[in-house]
Amino acid sequence: MLTRRTVVGKMALAAMLPAIAASPLSAIAATATPKPTPEELATAALLHTAFPHARLDAAFYSGVAGRYLAEIAKDPAAMAEHRRGLALLDGSYIAPFAQLPEMVRRSMVARYDQEPFFKALIWRGAELIYRDAAVWKMVGYEGSSVEYGGYIERGFDDIDWLPAAGGAK
Amino acid sequence: MTHFSLDDSSVFVVIGSGAGGGVLGNELAQKGHKVVCLEAGRRLEMSDIVNDEAAMFGKLTWLDRRMATGKPDPNFPVWGCKTVGGTTMHWTGACPRFEPHEMRARTTYGALPDTTLVDWPVTPEEIAPWYDKAEVRLGVTGRQGMPFLPPGNNFKVLEAGARKCGYTDIDTHNMAINSIERDDRPSCHQLGFCTSGCAVGAKWSTLYTEIPKAEETGRFELRPECMVTGIELGPDGRVSGVTYLHQGKRVTQKARAVAVAGNVVETTRLLLNNSSDRHPQGLANSSGLVGRNYMRHFTIQVMGVMPGKVHFHRQTHLAGVVRDERGHRPERGFAGGFLISTVPFTPEILAKNMITGGWGRDLTEVLDKYDQLAGMLLTGEDPPQLSNRITLHPTERDGYGLPVPVIHYEDHPNTIAMKEYAWKAGRRIYEALGAENVIEMGDYIPATHNMGTARMGDDPRASVCSPFGRTHDVANLYIADGSLFPTAGGCNPTLTIVALALRQAQHIDREVAAGRL
Repeated sequence: MLTRRTVVGKMALAAMLPAIAASPLSAIAATATPKPTPEELATAALLHTAFPHARLDAAFYSGVAGRYLAEIAKDPAAMAEHRRGLALLDGSYIAPFAQLPEMVRRSMVARYDQEPFFKALIWRGAELIYRDAAVWKMVGYEGSSVEYGGYIERGFDDIDWLPAAGGAK
Repeated sequence: MTHFSLDDSSVFVVIGSGAGGGVLGNELAQKGHKVVCLEAGRRLEMSDIVNDEAAMFGKLTWLDRRMATGKPDPNFPVWGCKTVGGTTMHWTGACPRFEPHEMRARTTYGALPDTTLVDWPVTPEEIAPWYDKAEVRLGVTGRQGMPFLPPGNNFKVLEAGARKCGYTDIDTHNMAINSIERDDRPSCHQLGFCTSGCAVGAKWSTLYTEIPKAEETGRFELRPECMVTGIELGPDGRVSGVTYLHQGKRVTQKARAVAVAGNVVETTRLLLNNSSDRHPQGLANSSGLVGRNYMRHFTIQVMGVMPGKVHFHRQTHLAGVVRDERGHRPERGFAGGFLISTVPFTPEILAKNMITGGWGRDLTEVLDKYDQLAGMLLTGEDPPQLSNRITLHPTERDGYGLPVPVIHYEDHPNTIAMKEYAWKAGRRIYEALGAENVIEMGDYIPATHNMGTARMGDDPRASVCSPFGRTHDVANLYIADGSLFPTAGGCNPTLTIVALALRQAQHIDREVAAGRL
């Protein structure tokens, strides 16, 4: 069982918090680019390895990768670091990272998961993925409620499986 | 709209508009005194409050640069607010009182090594009526005739598991959230998003309670977006005025007396940054204790993937409490105690918290069962340590040109022992209900309970403020926030901040009547 509290190492906790500028979610939908570049493929594979959801398809991860790359393209240092990371992943095995089997990709990422490029990708990746209304729907998060009068009439107390012995039901 | 002249030296200046400053300012205005309240942040309208954590984080949070050494995040060591209402915008509304044994911490816990444990100079008996007044003021549920909030899913899971573990002191907690329409504010609609500002105003916040009421008196002027940089002393050694930055301009307001309620970090910075010949170590710092004994409760979490759906986002953040571990029982291996309450996370924040410990399937298998998650927050007492302190960076400056505050904090061994125990206690609660998976999460969320850096006491050598929150060194300078706490207790600090502010207002009123202020 995973015990997160034992993890050592200082992470940029500020990045855990929601970013100041909320990004539009609609743009996450996969864009029908004719042919993804190797960089896009590798970034998508990396996102898929970091956030593997069986219910999300390849097009979803490509879309997120495209947005991530577009964002860091405005920051030369971030792009350089990202490219350095992709080169590490691509350069140290028999095939490009994106073409490796999932199990091998996982072990590759485990080798580099303390590198700045990866930390940057998962912080922002978590925002791009888990701020997406489609993902909310998938996992059962219902978001803003004030326009519906809150959850008070929409199931805030509808739990039905608790043991009667607890006295709660 | 009341407007006081900058030359009006009869006004009380209150710095900060949150739980301490907002209440003190209103109370003084109600008692007939003139008040200028200076707030660094903007004044939001109700329509600015939306159910969007990311958007509200940007609107509410104090984001000027801060640094840290030791345990906290180096870039975001504390989570405070920079907005009218201060952290009463962000808080969950939990209103437990300090327990008598916590106010007698030194007597109860004994000499805990490497701490500066003391008993409060205010006794439990003395503060009790002020707690009553504060509870009435805030409309605290389960107190003073206010009904409790109804139990929701996340709480029902906590309660059922806790009862299986033998706990009995369990309810939907004493919350400053309306359970009925009251004070021209609606009852709670169970929006969730409590820490993003309550969009319907059911949760008490000074933004839409104390401040407009104070303004109605005609004796209260709120000046938002005014960042205080200086406190001026006259030749008599008393505060004569306050200097602040507003829209890039430096402005000085004369004052009869000043109360600082900037939440611990800003209060400390203001005092330390105002040194002079008379106050070489910083204002009101002859004890050398300003900024020291910085305390923050630990806030750890346990998440359970439960056997059925919970939908823990569908209700107030802090939806109930288990108090059984609050007491002082040294046989557990630590002094003091902790509270167990509920907490939900949005998928994004849950993912970000979990990323701290890993990625991949460990993360996504939890997120895939988001609707089955129950969550609890465990918050415990933190003993005061002289070495945990807030200082000013010698060279780094923020956007105002002010020295960047540096927060140094390390857990005391007592805190570490309590956390280890608390994680196990929390885990047991969800396991008792057959949780598929239980995830223990560390206190990664930056501290929101800040205390101790201008502690109250009777001895000017061992404390910064008198038992009424007046600085020992400057006769008309008061502190009105969590900085005053000599010890942290095992519970959320806001109700105590409010009770002390109400008590301080009465003290100030009497001092004025006696011709001493």
